Formats: sequence, C-alpha cells, structure tokens
Amino acid sequence: MRVVVVGNGMVGSRFVEDLRARAPQAEITVVGAEEYEPYNRVLLSEVVAGAVGVASITLPTSDVDGVRVLRGTSATALDRTRRVLVLDSGEELPYDHLVLATGARARIPSVPGLERLPAGVHPLRSLDDAREIVAATVNTRRALVLGGGVLGLEVACGLRRRGLAVTLVHGGPHVMDRQLGDGAGAAALAGLTRLGIEQRTGVVAAEVHVSTFGTAATWGAPDGATADVATTDTGAVSRRVTGVRLTDGSTVAADLLILTAGTVPDVDLAERAGLEVRRGVVVDADLTTADRAVHAIGDCAEPPEGGTGLIAQGWEQSRRLAAVLAGADAPTSSPLGGTDVVRLKAHGLDVVAMGAPVAGARTVTLSDPAAGRHVEVSVADGAVVAVACVGAPEVGADLTTAYTRATPVPADPAQLLLRPVRGAATTAEPSPTLMPDRATVCRCNGVTKGDIVRCWEHGARSTDDVARATRATTGCGGCTEAVCGLVDWLAKASPDPSAGAPHSRTANGAQPASTSPAAVTLSEPVPSGSGTAQRRVPSSRS
Amino acid sequence: MPAGPGTRTHCPYCALQCAMTLSPPDDDARAVGAPVTVAGRDFPTNRGGLCQKGWTSAQVLRAPDRLTTPLVRDADGELRPASWDEALDVVADGVRRLQAEHGREAVAVFGGGGLTNEKAYALGKFARVVLRTPFIDYNGRFCMASAAAGANRAFGIDRGLPFPLADVGAASAVVLLGSNLAETMPPSTAHLGDVRAQGGLVVVDPRHSATAALTDDGGGLHLQPVPGTDLAVLLGLLHVVLGEGLADEEYLAARTTGADEVRRSVAAWWPERVEQVSGVPADLVRRTARMLAARAALSRREGRGGVVVLTGRGVEQSSQGTATVSAAINLALALGLPGRPGSGYGAITGQGNGQGGREHGQKSDQLPGYRRIDDPAARAHVARVWGVDPDTLPGPGVPAVELLRHLGTPAGPRALLVHGCNLVVSAPDADRVRERLRALDLLVVCDLVPSETTRLAHVVLPVTQWAEEEGTMTSLEGRVLRRRRALPPPPGVRSELDVLHDLAARLGVPTGFPTDPAEVFDELARASAGGVADYSGLSHARLDAAEAAGQALHWPCPEGSAGTPRLFTESFPTPDGRARMVAVDHHGPADDLRRDAPIYLITGRVLQHYQSGAQTRRVPALATAQPEPYVELHPLLADRLGVSDGELVEVTSARGTAVAAAHVTPSARPDAVFMPFHWSGEGSANRLTSDATDPVSGMPEFKVCAVQVRAVGETSRGAADELEVVR
Repeated sequence: MRVVVVGNGMVGSRFVEDLRARAPQAEITVVGAEEYEPYNRVLLSEVVAGAVGVASITLPTSDVDGVRVLRGTSATALDRTRRVLVLDSGEELPYDHLVLATGARARIPSVPGLERLPAGVHPLRSLDDAREIVAATVNTRRALVLGGGVLGLEVACGLRRRGLAVTLVHGGPHVMDRQLGDGAGAAALAGLTRLGIEQRTGVVAAEVHVSTFGTAATWGAPDGATADVATTDTGAVSRRVTGVRLTDGSTVAADLLILTAGTVPDVDLAERAGLEVRRGVVVDADLTTADRAVHAIGDCAEPPEGGTGLIAQGWEQSRRLAAVLAGADAPTSSPLGGTDVVRLKAHGLDVVAMGAPVAGARTVTLSDPAAGRHVEVSVADGAVVAVACVGAPEVGADLTTAYTRATPVPADPAQLLLRPVRGAATTAEPSPTLMPDRATVCRCNGVTKGDIVRCWEHGARSTDDVARATRATTGCGGCTEAVCGLVDWLAKASPDPSAGAPHSRTANGAQPASTSPAAVTLSEPVPSGSGTAQRRVPSSRS
Repeated sequence: MPAGPGTRTHCPYCALQCAMTLSPPDDDARAVGAPVTVAGRDFPTNRGGLCQKGWTSAQVLRAPDRLTTPLVRDADGELRPASWDEALDVVADGVRRLQAEHGREAVAVFGGGGLTNEKAYALGKFARVVLRTPFIDYNGRFCMASAAAGANRAFGIDRGLPFPLADVGAASAVVLLGSNLAETMPPSTAHLGDVRAQGGLVVVDPRHSATAALTDDGGGLHLQPVPGTDLAVLLGLLHVVLGEGLADEEYLAARTTGADEVRRSVAAWWPERVEQVSGVPADLVRRTARMLAARAALSRREGRGGVVVLTGRGVEQSSQGTATVSAAINLALALGLPGRPGSGYGAITGQGNGQGGREHGQKSDQLPGYRRIDDPAARAHVARVWGVDPDTLPGPGVPAVELLRHLGTPAGPRALLVHGCNLVVSAPDADRVRERLRALDLLVVCDLVPSETTRLAHVVLPVTQWAEEEGTMTSLEGRVLRRRRALPPPPGVRSELDVLHDLAARLGVPTGFPTDPAEVFDELARASAGGVADYSGLSHARLDAAEAAGQALHWPCPEGSAGTPRLFTESFPTPDGRARMVAVDHHGPADDLRRDAPIYLITGRVLQHYQSGAQTRRVPALATAQPEPYVELHPLLADRLGVSDGELVEVTSARGTAVAAAHVTPSARPDAVFMPFHWSGEGSANRLTSDATDPVSGMPEFKVCAVQVRAVGETSRGAADELEVVR
C-alpha cells in the first residue's frame, strides 16, 4: 500500500505514526511545505509568551525507517485519474491512498493596509511567525491583537507577560463569544482587565496605519493614501505598522499588530483536483472524499459533524483513518462524551468551555463577578452537556473530565459548581476534647481515642504505658503527638493523685478517668495555646 | 522496645520486612494464643515500629484451622487427610502420567513473592531440572513486573530501591505515584516526616488516601487524576521540566541516551491537555514540576536534601504500567536524580520477598541471578551449577495471566503446583481463574491454612511459615535479610524445601535438592555469580556476622564485595554505561467507561490485611478491625444512587458482579469507587477486575476497570437506579 500524506504538521505527522503502528508494511511518503520537523502548533502562543522554548515544541519525527519525508516541498497538483501527486520539484508520487493534512492558514482581514503585510504585522500560525513575533517584542512597546478568540487571548496575555502594553480588539460583544455567554464573557473581560489588557469589543479594524521610511505617512491621512503606499510597495521599501483605526473611528497606536482573526482551511490542492470543498474538504465519517482513494484529516477537512479546529479532533481523525486504511474496523469506541473542549492557555486567565446546551437541558450558574469567576453547567440525561467556566480552574478540570467521559452527575447539578472531587474532605481536625470516641488515633494499630481512654482507666499514665498496652505510636510514630496530647488531657482532667501529672479538678468537677468515654469527651475543653491543642490527630476513617 | 534475648527475624508480611524479635510467649501472647511474643526491633527501615499486622503476626502460627496434615481428594471428590508419602506419591504419579501423556509442558508451576530466596530458587530449579517445563511464573507478575521491566530497560538492572530507604527520610521532595504507604507499609511513613515538614511530599493518587492525606496542611501536593491517567500526568510534568528549561541538561548529556526522543514525545503533552485527560489542573501540574525542579537544583548546587521519585502498584498494575514506570524514570533522569546520593527513582516492592522472589528463577523468562533464560551464556553457567546439560533446560514460558488463561485448555497445562499464592482471590478476573483451576487434572497447593485455592486442590501439602524456618528475604531496598526460626513447626508440617526434595527424588532426581536452607543459599549464591543480582559473596554465616556487626548487605554482592547500598553512582549497568530514556505515550485503560459502565473501579488494600487475606483474616484483631469487603464511594455518587453508609451496593463489570457494603467518604472521586481485594466470595473485588495486561511486562490491569454501581436491598429501586448515560 502506497500512502502519500500532504502535510507534515501536527496531524499529518501523527497520522504517519498511527498508520505505521497499524500497518507497518505501508509505504509512506510525507510532503511538508515547511522546512522544519513537525512541531506543536498549539504551543506557539506559549513560545510567544516566553513560557516554553522553541526547542521543546518539536514533535516526534516522521523521518523513520520506511517513511520518506520531503520537507520544504509543496504539492502543486493532484491528478486523481492517474493517482499521482505532483510536486513543485516536478516529481510525481503515485499513491494508492492520498491523505490531505494541509491544515489551515491564518485569516487575514481584508482591511486597507493589510493587502501586503507591513513590518510589525504578524499572523500566528507557523514557527516562523512565532519567532518573528518574539524577535519583534524586543523593540516594541505597544501591541494590538486583532481578534479575541482563543488564540487572540493567549497572545494578548502572552505579550502582556512580556511587559508590552496590549490592546485586544474583538468584533463580537465580548471575547470568545463563540464559546462564552454574556456572564462568562464578562468574567473573562474582568480577568483581562485585571491583567492590564485594554479591550475594545464590538469594533473591528477599519484600516491599518503604516509608516514608510520611518514617517507616519498615513497617520491621520485619508484612506486613499494608505492604499497608495500599499499598492505601490515593491516589497523593498520599509513599511511599518503604526496603529489601527477602528470602525468606531478611534485609532489605537501600535508598533506590533498580531492577526488572530481565525483560520481558513488550506484546500487549494483539493479544489483544483475537483474534490468537493465547502469550508473544508468534504469527507464522510471515515475521513474519505467522494474519491475513495483521497482522504482529508485535521483542519483542512470538513467531516459530517463539522470541523472544530481543535487538535483533539484532528488526532482522533488520524487514529480513525489509520484504522480504516489498515483494513481494521474503524474504532467503535468513540468517546462517550464530547471532545470539543476549548481550554485557554493564557497566563493569568483560566477559561474552559465545551459542548452546547441541548433542548431540555438544565443549566446552573455560579456568578461571582467580583472574583472574576463564572461557572455555567448544562446537564441533560444525567450527564454534563455544556460548560463555560472562567476563573475557576479546578472546577473546570473536574467538569472537563465529567464532560469528556459522560460520568454520572450529582443528583443536584448545583454540586458541580464547586469542587465535587474533594468535597468536604478537609475538615479541621478535632481537639482531644471534641474528638469522637471512635475516632482512630493510631492508624497503624487501629487504636481509637476510646481505646486510649479505657487504657487510662486501667492505670496507664504515660505515653509509654499507652504504647505498651495499645501499641499506639509503635507503627510509623506519626500519632505520637496526638497520643501525648490525649495523655496530657486525661492527666489534667483526672482527679487521681496517682496520675503523677499536675492536674486539678475540672471546673465542673467531672471525673473523666472513671466516667464513660462519652462523658469524658464532654468534660473539659483543652486550654487553647497550651500546645496540646495544636497537636494533630490523624482523621478517622470510620 | 528493649531488644532482649530472643530470635531476631523480620515480619512475615510486606517488603518493608520490619525487624522484630520473637521471645517466649508472655501473658498477652498466651491470651491470644500466640506461641511467641513479638516486639519491634530498631532497624533502618522500620525504626522499631510495627503495624497491627506485624504485632499480631504470631497468631497466624496457631491459626485454628492451620493445616497440619496433607490432604488428598478421594474418589468421592472430598479432601481427606493422607500421609505425606501417600500425598507425595499422588503428586509424583500424576506428574509422571500427565507428562507421559501430554509432554513435559503439561505441568506448570506457580510461585509467590512471599517465598524465601531459598524456596524461590529451589522452585525455579525444580521446574527446569525436574519437571523440565517452561511453564513457571509467580504472583510477583501481579506485583513487580512493570517496575522490573521499566527499570531494566532504563538502568539495565531492577532493584526496587537502588538506594537505602533511609535516603527517603533525608529528601527535600518525594513523589509517590500510586503508592498508599500509609496502608500498605505503615511504619515506612516515618521516613516522610521531614519532607512533609518542608511541604515536599507529592502524592499522585485518584483517592485522597491515607497517604495522600499526608500532603494536607502544607505537607505537600496531592494530584488526584482520573483513574488510569497517571501516565498523562507524568508526561505533563516532563513537558514542563523540559519545556521550561528546568531539566538538568548536563546530566542528560553526560549520563543518558534518548533524551531527544523523550523531549519530542512530551511536546504533545502540555499541561492543559494533561488537565483534559487526567482532571489534574494545569496549574497544579506546572507547580509540581517547578517545585521538584527547584529542589533538585538546590540539592545539586547547595547539597540540600535530594528528590526521590517512587512508584507503586497504583500506576504499575495497568495495561500501560511499564510505560508509566518509564515516564517516572524519565522524569527522574530529566531532574538528574538517579545515581546522585540522596536522590533517585525507585519502585516500592510489595510482597515480603517481592525483590528476591523476582531474581532467582520464578519468572518465566529467567534463571537465577536475574539472568535471562534465552541467553546461552546464562544457560551454560546455571546448567554447570546445576550439573545438567544446558540443552535440557527449557526455554522461556509465558507470564502469569497468560499461563492461567491456558490452564486446563486442550493445548494448555493439565497440572499446576502452587506455592505461596492464593490465586482465586488475588488473580484478576477471579471467576475465570476458578474455572481454569477446576479444569485441571491435578492441582497441588502448598499452604499454611486452607485458603480458597486449597479448596479446589487435588492435593494440599501443609508447609512451614516464617517463624518456623530459616532463610533469607531481600527487602524493598535490596538488602538481604535473615529470616530465623523461633520455634518448630507443628507436627506434620514440612518445609517446601523438603517437599521439593521428596518430589524430585520420586521423579528421578535424587540429588540437587538439599533441605538445609543454608546449603540451598550457597548454591543460589554460586548460580547467581556474575549475574545482575549477584549474591555470590553472601552466605547465611556472612549475613549473620554482618548483622551482628551492624552492617547492611545490599546486592549486588559478588565475592569480596561489601555490598552495594547505592547503585548508579558512577555509571549504569547498560552496555554504554548510560541510562536509556524511552519515549512513551498515554492511551488509557483497556476497560474504559461505557454507557452501561459509567464508573471506574479502583482496587487496593487496607492496613489490616495482606494480599488475599489468607493469613490476616485469621487474626481476630485484624478481622474485627476490617471484617468485610466494602465499596468506597463519594457522597455525591452515594446520593445519586440512593445509598447510605453501610448499605449494600452491587458492582458489576464486564466480567462479574460483587456485592459489598458502602463506605461513603469524600476521599473517593465522584466518578470512581474503590474496593479492597482481600476477600473471596460475593464481595471479592477480583471477580470484577480485568485480565488485560501490559504488553511489555504481562502485568494485569488490577487498578482500573469500568463498572456499573447500584443500590441493592431495601433501597433498591431496580433498574431505575442504574446510571445509564444517555447521550
């Protein structure tokens, strides 16, 4: 089986790995436009933020025995009749199966000034983009991020982390409006504000101002002037962004403009080959086009359920297609819950969103604007079907696993709004006085407070006595302090002169040593600050 | 406790092998029917402490139903008392007949990690020399196989802790992955006091276990992943260490190979993805990695306490157990820990002789000294010691679960000899195991008490236990310890060394199976010479002398050596002297959640019981403290199911159903229930567990499977209670 993969990115390279695992005999050729080995595109915003190094985002190489990798090579045509892929080198690659994993390009808004990207203007789609942005941050001060989706927020927070003044411009009513409703959006805005990121929502760029030769040629000039510069630009002239005029007429100065206005699937090759293309290359549930020898996965594909642009979907498609091509039944164990989890990787702002409320869903909300927290959970048929969670990362983590695994939700879904995992696990340890009689003091030997009290009643007067009689403290020794505390407390509360410890009658005259354990526990509060009260007792497992 | 006169030995149970002294019974001992008084003895591992199991261990010596006569199943199918000669003849005749009819492979052997080194060695030799069957494996396959495979491929050697346990006590950070020390070897937690005081204890466990609770109140960090996703957490920790430039690059360059592949493989495991898979918040993954890296750096530069990464069964009993161990080792290597005094990676061995038991030939692919049975040089050496032609030694057999699956099948073994293991309680998918054992023509079980497995046997042979025998055990830190006899066995009880000697003689091998443990050990030492686990410098006499002089002897200990408390200080025993980093990936459990099984089941232990409970369930104090199996579930899940604490719940997996009492506790995750596995019967956890195994180690996935949980009894409302997820 000859398999040609177009695209050596996150999904293309993963597909090679998946197919080799299932069909080691397949002859695989991978064609990648970039010179680089496959890398983790998801982490480019982390590179921009300075959180991870460029070297650490390289993914496992496809360049292994049995795989031919052509890097820095573009496919120019797909001849489906002859079943060959034509390369820019002129070479033709015959195939039995052709897999399109060409990904997506950054969408460049059609705004005057961006006909040709001036210096200081970058999309963030490739390693080169990330490198250029990082280099640019060294001598820029004001950044404008155009587009407040996931990537826009990550970049805005990342640049802020690098100390730049950042303005985030978003056409929708609030950031991430595809994923977040008003309440969650407001919490996200509050979070961004706390980080010192200026936001302009409900407006888009009307024009990008560009200077030439260091002069702000279009600063405040009529639109036509900008267009002039742009169209007459030969590419040799230095043009540099200086700011952006927004649709409300205001202008924001910026010497770095990042375009995060979404992506466009890379479908040129498929289109020219006459394959059906809507937003992406149309494929069926088996990731196959109308031409059974041609497949598409990742961002360039448009499966029946629609493309999410999330890597999880691309990797799932890779696994599935590998199984299909290997002749195995496609994996039937499709995930129980949803896979469309959108998790922001922004420094200082936690947002996670997933799913969509369905008819009949029950939605519960925790709204805590002052703390920048908003949790909204929809439940249907006993499972979580949608989540918007801002500023509550631990709750978000729990909700994610509940959603992706469709685990049973609590009888009252409002329980999901706080941390259900740990619940009320940590309660304050009781003092010897308040500790119930059946509370375990020494776990290693299963000794309860009641056992120690009884031991005292039988004449034990020191920790050693108690240890000999009950074996408390003789395991790991972790309860030694607690046992000392109990002995001290019993000594103080005891009227028995043979106790050998300084003591007096308790205020109410109770005689704990001879009373029932239950009475003892009620007899006397431990003096606070005595040190005894500070001692901890392992919690009971009863 | 004062160390008076008495017999200095070690606890019969776990791999911590707490030192104890046995003396003539005092009043307290007599009151509970114990023939000796047990006292903890000061020792580097247990520091004089014992848990409740250790304190009460002498009562097992006089268990009311202690086996003291051989039993043979008669024509009516009943087990009847028999003489030793009669019983051994039945075994020998059966073996001869089945091997004549079906070939040598018709007889298989199943050993245990609780056997002394001497018995484990003799058992392996018996299988290879007398039975000449490849089919021998042992319950250590359920216990240490993944840790062993991971350590072997990284370091070229598998010694649970390659450093003394006391090093843990001096560390500034300790990571415990899937280990519940506070229940499984309680005295060992004494070593965690200092690290907790520094906030340096990291526990990765889906439950807020007693051990995880040690991280509370500033003791450290508890990472509580979805069951079966510990590997993703480790990959995330590695991602942060490598991605944020926190790794010890000098160490990686000088002492490892494979770092680049690992670096690339974890590029795909950024913390937010780890969070989605495991439920551990991304920020907690980052904080943990940074804390570990910072402490490793301080240890390196300023000589502060080291960093120790430890794994336990929680992560190893998994279909990706070896991969998880590799990831833990990779993390340790990235932080520059292995071989640095005070730091390192280790696996916490479970069973009493789980270490020694895996070194001297009980494993299907192994010869004494941790040699490979498919290595011609190893075969030649061992055959020379055994006085046989190397060509007569069988080749590798199959790992435990595969062996059990084939028992009594047309192509599988027809007879099985079981030593030191209660298979029908402790093996996964226990109902199937019971079926396979029933299908055998001959099942021979050596045991102390009538365990559940003996009840299926054709022949039961009563054997000695700890305080009745001499021998050696190798503890979790690779230290060889002397087990000493404090009292004679009850009349009618024999050592397995006697059993093997007598059977060998009946099967035509009259020599080569001495019954004196010291003599067996000397042969073991010769057979191990030049192997990875080299004991050739050891003997009972030397161990006794060293102990009297307060010296510890850790293997490898070739002739003339003073032992090796710390491995890897100069190099790793790999061909190039470097540790090998192996890139691994997370796939998740084999038996993952389904619509009709939407809850995870985790299995594990409780403090009061050991393994299948055959010993500890017979001690009244332990049985009273933990009388019955239970199902631990979170209050939210209990509420959803309509179950109150103490009520019965029914847990059903694809393999079987168990019913046990509900223990409602917030220490569980709401998406997972927990059951201890020490019981048989309707509450037996292993009726539910999956026999899916790790592809490298053959270790079964005890720790996670998918189940349905519902209320039974009064509160049952039938199918309406089932948690079917409709999407």
